[in-house]
Amino acid sequence: MSEFTVSRRHILQASSLLLASTALPTLLKAQDAGPGGRLVVAADSEPKNLNPAIVASNGVFFIASKVIEPLAEAAFDGHDGLEPRLAISWVGSADGRSITFKLREGVTWHDGKPFTSADVAFSALNIWKPLQNLGRVVFANLQGVDTPDDHTAIFRFAKPTPIQLIRNALPVVSSVVPKHLYEGSDIATNPANTKPVGTGPFKFAEHKPGEYYRLTRNDAYWGKDQPLLDEIVFRVLPDRAGAGAALEAEEIQLAAFSAVPLADLDRISKVPGLKVVSRGYEALTYQLVVEINHRRKELGDLKVRQAIAHAIDKTFVVETIFLGYASASTGPVPKNAPEFYDADVPNHAFDTEKANALLDEAGYKRGADGNRFTLKLRPAPYFNETRQFGDYLRQALAAIGINAEIVNADSAAHQKAVYTDHDFDLAVAPPVFRGDPAISTTILVQSGTPAGVPFSNQGGYRNPALDAVIAKAAETIDSGERTRLYKDFQKLVVTDLPLINVAEWGFISVTSERVLNIADNPRWAVSNWATTALQP
Amino acid sequence: MKLIQKFIKTPEGIVGIIILSILITLALSAPIIAPGDPLRIAGRALAAPFSDPSLPLGTDRLGRDVLSGIIHGARTSLLVGAAAALAAIAIGLMIGLVAGFCGGIVDEVLMRVVDAFQIVPGFLLALAFVSVMGASLPVVVMAIALGAWADPARLTRAQVLSLRERDYVAAARVIGMPPVEIAVKHILPQAVPPVLAVSATIVAAAILTEAALSFLGLGDPNSVTWGSMISEGRNVLRSSPWLSIMPGLALIVTVLGVYLFSEGLTKAMTRPASTDRSAPRDGMTP
Repeated sequence: MSEFTVSRRHILQASSLLLASTALPTLLKAQDAGPGGRLVVAADSEPKNLNPAIVASNGVFFIASKVIEPLAEAAFDGHDGLEPRLAISWVGSADGRSITFKLREGVTWHDGKPFTSADVAFSALNIWKPLQNLGRVVFANLQGVDTPDDHTAIFRFAKPTPIQLIRNALPVVSSVVPKHLYEGSDIATNPANTKPVGTGPFKFAEHKPGEYYRLTRNDAYWGKDQPLLDEIVFRVLPDRAGAGAALEAEEIQLAAFSAVPLADLDRISKVPGLKVVSRGYEALTYQLVVEINHRRKELGDLKVRQAIAHAIDKTFVVETIFLGYASASTGPVPKNAPEFYDADVPNHAFDTEKANALLDEAGYKRGADGNRFTLKLRPAPYFNETRQFGDYLRQALAAIGINAEIVNADSAAHQKAVYTDHDFDLAVAPPVFRGDPAISTTILVQSGTPAGVPFSNQGGYRNPALDAVIAKAAETIDSGERTRLYKDFQKLVVTDLPLINVAEWGFISVTSERVLNIADNPRWAVSNWATTALQP
Repeated sequence: MKLIQKFIKTPEGIVGIIILSILITLALSAPIIAPGDPLRIAGRALAAPFSDPSLPLGTDRLGRDVLSGIIHGARTSLLVGAAAALAAIAIGLMIGLVAGFCGGIVDEVLMRVVDAFQIVPGFLLALAFVSVMGASLPVVVMAIALGAWADPARLTRAQVLSLRERDYVAAARVIGMPPVEIAVKHILPQAVPPVLAVSATIVAAAILTEAALSFLGLGDPNSVTWGSMISEGRNVLRSSPWLSIMPGLALIVTVLGVYLFSEGLTKAMTRPASTDRSAPRDGMTP
């Protein structure tokens, strides 16, 4: 029995071991990088409006997420896949009509005023719901926000709203801005949109157009001993070839969002002192999609769409166009969303013979020149890869007797042609999967979206069965049931092919080995970088 | 005939004509030497030049044959160059003839239009035109011609102004020939040669403009052009420089060929036939 007695010494031993084991990583971290230093980062675009509460896009988050914080941030292993930021807990009511957020105490804005539930209520009702590109969808049924005390915000919804959706959307849609700066002004033109004031680990210092953005350390940040950096400078380097050279010359220490072209990664990974990192973009999955105009008689025929799906060699796309930095898609939900992903869907394997047979069956015989019909193909100009895939798709279609004529245009003209004028037969698009299919994925196939809404179903596709599943899932409170509906959604999309999902990819960062603690959450590039450090 | 004889006596002319004939032969026989769509995927991506006998100049990012691209690119470059120059000269001759022959208010108006086009850099004009109209070969040809017609128009007008005061024109007027007939039959043929002399430079400039447009992604995406090949190679410039160098060399050789040809032509036209023999005779007197 005496062996099992618990003595004071045992407890002391055990607790000191425990203490050592938890304290050790912190100590090591502190050794690796003392606080301080200036991190210089390549920025390829130069957004004017830096208010992420209005423009929830990665270009804005990249800079503004260090200044303005969301209620919660995505996490690799947090509860619900989230890590608390300005909210410390979130609980949905059983009827799906309200969600209660407990807010962090002792947080102050960069101008010294305290952060309270009034700021959250103001942001939600006056900005997220009416003005924000994604918030319009997510908070469509938001009726009001009650603030019983300074640190509680209760969101009330007119219709049952799934907590699962709100949770998944929090990192993207819930950037809180200060009520005292925005109230009573025209929000869209408020000066704080270009010189943001937030609660984040860094304060906005200055923007020199065409040169850089500079952020400085917020000494009053609520995170203990955070942030570790003194300054972050985003140097504007629009030329992609320039980012690689600047890294090698040690003018910058980090190039995120694949600023270094994929084809150059192999070479740059061998440069001493630099490393290539593909983690930190798991929640920012881009999907390579072939949009189809179902108004074209030929494309309205399922057999033709199946033939096109069979004509695309996804392995070639992943290995040659993306050089392995992507994976083949099975359907409209990417593998990076394990909560919803369903691999058990029909598979359109690469098979030119089958594609040709399907087209023959559909009654489109080859003419004397070997062509069955001609299509207008519009590859989106946003990425090298979407353009290259356009070139590849033209060749893949030629192999099955479809003559595709590529039409290139700049971003504005491309969006107008595809999403407003419907002047396309096939288009290559890179939509983003944002953690929940209801945020920006179902809109790609759902019918009834008016012309002119970018990145939505503008191909004239209408499938009542699919619309019904989407509508049901939008108001299903039970997470399990909702997830099941989205699995049905995936099956329906892959079976009827309103569009063809080809591949999905995240981005690549190239950094100096001196930069530590990068990619520690699935939205790292657009998160607050409070734990990022720079070795001297 | 004399002009040709004089032309082939100039070294520039000879070299120029050799380069151009090789390129034209290459372009015309492209479907035979490099059959099939030059944009099709022919092999492994980024194969180095001279590593595979079936793909002598290697492949690009998607595995397309570089040699086939250069041969078919010659077609596009020469076609666009020639067509744009032809269009520019046709428009220029026409406007210049009308302005010079009619004189007065018509001349004033037309020349101010010419001024307007000469002020705007030709490349910017082409850039704007293609972005608005959408990229396709006819649009690119028009866009380049739009920036190139002003010079031949001015040249023609100057010629016409001096020609219309000549005695034979006055004679034609006296016998009651209609003005249009005088302009087309008697003045135009005399005004053409100096304009033809600048035509070669217009071709060279047109080829370069087309390459620059394609480089900026404003060429016809459905046909292979040297400019787009250079542009696509730029992304892998550090690891596979040949993708940009090969079409770049092709471009240099072509423009050089056209330029030498034009030099030879100018020399042949300006040098009197007897220069070679008369020179020593003049120097004989002690």
